[in-house]
Amino acid sequence: MNRTLSIIIRRLGSLLVTLAVMSLIIFMLVEIMPGDVAQMILGQSATDEAVHALREARGLNDPVLLRYARWVGGVVTGDLGESIYMQGVSINSILWRRVGHSMILALTAFLIFVPLSMIFGVLAGVKEKSKTDSIISFFGLATMALPEFVSGVFLISIFGVQLKWLPIVSVIPIGESLFSNLEILVMPALSVTFVMFGYISRMQRSSMIQVMHSDYVRAAILKGMPTRYVIFRHALKNALLPTITIIGMNMGWLFGGLVVVETLFGYPGMGSLLMTAIKTRDVPLIEACVLLITIIFSLSTMVTDILYSYLNPRVRLQGGQK
Amino acid sequence: MKRTALILLLLVAMVTTPLFAGGDKEAKSSEKVIRIAEQVPGLITPGVWDGQVFSMNSSMYEYLVEINVGTGQLDPVLATDWSTTDGKDWTFHLRKGVKFHDGSDFTSKDVQYSLERTQDPTIGHLKKQDFSVVQSIETPDDYTVIIHLKESRPTFVYQLTDYNMAMLSSEYDYAKYGESKPMGTGPFMMSQYIPKESIAMVKNPNYWDPALPKLDKILIYFVGDIDASVSMLEAGRVDVVTFVTPVIKNRLSKIEGISVISPYQEQRFVAMNVDMKPWDDNRVRLAFKYAMDPQIIAKSVTQMNLGEGAQYNETPIMNMLSEYKELPLRQRDIPKAKALLAEAGYPDGVSVALYYASDHPFGKELAQTLKELALPAGFDLELKGFTRDVYLSQYWLNVPTSITGWGGRIDPSMLLGLAFKGGGPWNESHLNDKRINDLIDKITEEIDVQTRMGYYHELQDIFYAEGALLNVQVPYLVAINDRVVDYRQPLTMIPQYKYTDIR
Repeated sequence: MNRTLSIIIRRLGSLLVTLAVMSLIIFMLVEIMPGDVAQMILGQSATDEAVHALREARGLNDPVLLRYARWVGGVVTGDLGESIYMQGVSINSILWRRVGHSMILALTAFLIFVPLSMIFGVLAGVKEKSKTDSIISFFGLATMALPEFVSGVFLISIFGVQLKWLPIVSVIPIGESLFSNLEILVMPALSVTFVMFGYISRMQRSSMIQVMHSDYVRAAILKGMPTRYVIFRHALKNALLPTITIIGMNMGWLFGGLVVVETLFGYPGMGSLLMTAIKTRDVPLIEACVLLITIIFSLSTMVTDILYSYLNPRVRLQGGQK
Repeated sequence: MKRTALILLLLVAMVTTPLFAGGDKEAKSSEKVIRIAEQVPGLITPGVWDGQVFSMNSSMYEYLVEINVGTGQLDPVLATDWSTTDGKDWTFHLRKGVKFHDGSDFTSKDVQYSLERTQDPTIGHLKKQDFSVVQSIETPDDYTVIIHLKESRPTFVYQLTDYNMAMLSSEYDYAKYGESKPMGTGPFMMSQYIPKESIAMVKNPNYWDPALPKLDKILIYFVGDIDASVSMLEAGRVDVVTFVTPVIKNRLSKIEGISVISPYQEQRFVAMNVDMKPWDDNRVRLAFKYAMDPQIIAKSVTQMNLGEGAQYNETPIMNMLSEYKELPLRQRDIPKAKALLAEAGYPDGVSVALYYASDHPFGKELAQTLKELALPAGFDLELKGFTRDVYLSQYWLNVPTSITGWGGRIDPSMLLGLAFKGGGPWNESHLNDKRINDLIDKITEEIDVQTRMGYYHELQDIFYAEGALLNVQVPYLVAINDRVVDYRQPLTMIPQYKYTDIR
């Protein structure tokens, strides 16, 4: 127990260092983006004086390090600052609503693609080289090759335009909440599922094949154990390990990578917010979104590692000995 | 194994089935509601408003006067009448009984505040330049405003139609609440605002005209992607989509119940910098003009025919304005262009850079069309496209050739001084011609309409013969469904939703 705790503490420590370095990189990257935010805000009829007044008012004329320090100070105390465009409105009040929406979308997608791809991956692995395996593998490859903006358009044209079963845009009607419009989640979640399905089911399939060919499984089968028992009791736990890692590693992507899907469907999540922020060069908002994605990415990787070490004693022991 | 897989599949289906319930929801109440998809707003406080999200601001704020889309003339709004004898001293009488959304009265003090605010250096007001002509403002009573100008400006009243000249309350803190709780005297007031996502506005019950507005609610979705906005229109989720492209227009033209209209046009000035080679020689400028084909420009840039949604001329005056002089359309003549170029000392042609904002509507298309058209005459245009902010802040005004977007102005005189007079702050082509400077001064100060018109015509003749400008006019396109009745949006770009109704 103490060993696991020390792993967690050490991982948390390295997470903090990662975040500190990342925050500096994010800030500097945004800083070197070409163009001028004040000019962008005011447009063409802005005089130099107007641009200068706006830069001054928004603190854009201060030295870079001072602005970085101010930003980090704010982040640490939970104040993400104000959007360049929304004086008097804190980023917190814009961001968290969107983060909530993205989490719900990510969770919906997760609930669809994880069981689906694992079941079909196991099935393909168990029935290696059979017709079922070929069909699942083909389908997995095909969906993996399709980027989400292509599969999204397919889904829209089939379920939205032709069959009219689902709304073709995922906008929450004004005055209503996401929970009274859950149908808007389906198509974005399916687009994500398409991308993830091939990836995870193939990983699951190959690890299942590997395990099924291992000596202990063969021994169990030869011993006369029922196949189902061998698969579920012995093979599955080991075959799940690499898949869990992949799923964990992709949770960060799932969250940050929703940009395309959210923009395509007009879904009001963090991805589309980040897109808007980049388009309008809304520096504080870009920084807040990217930092949050980094945190989620790092956290999900950390949780995966811990889960992995829990499931695989060899890793746990090695980790403890270091 | 098969049974287990089946059970698991059923479980997944059970989790996901509720999500599939129901398709698009129908409108639930009998209220008259219009739904609009617009771009995500930038700054919205009048003064520093970049001109996006017109539907929101134009419904919440109001102006002293507005353009009548039918007649093109000025109609009274917050000012009931106005007068001047010499173009220098202007008297405005204000409408009585007008209230701001916070319940306070609209008076002459508010007009004074709104005008003086243009000169406040901390605001960075976009109309600072235009209103620097104001000498002083008097408010003899609550409903009279007298504006004294430094010099005669017979068309000064048109300045008050600019979208940044909304009348603001002198008692409201716009620096603090302008972006989050906007408030004016307009026909609609804010009821719910989710930043970067949507805004709901309801009818102002205290609006000074009891017959207006006709709608009960305006709902605006801020959608970052134009294709998503158009999908919403096709799905019946919104009634109006602004900033539609010609490609989308063509696609929508096949759909019943949706029309794409062009309420006004914008200008794209192709400016040749006369301080730089080769444009310092008028023969080169003429050669370039002879290489152009207005019909092809219109077709390939806007996918519309010349005269339908696109226009072309070689002067700063838009074809749709009364000040425009009908000059013959120069026909493409490559031999003549080549000869002129050779005469100017470029027998083997000339290479020149063309700068433009690649992310601005029509910019890329126009740049490519110009390059193709000019090539046979011996012009090798090097295309230099940048994002609009980079283009404006780093290149514009200091490059040999440029394409810049300009909104139309009902009164073109102010733009002349700013963009075509020697020393003007936005003089892209660096023209400094005494005849042009004098004519611009005369146009700005002349009180007699006919005489002023004569000056306008004279100016356009000079531009046609020696100017350094191509004026390509491109349509601003709005897609609306047929439920929308009486959509009005004059050249000032401010939609007038108070007149709009819904079937």
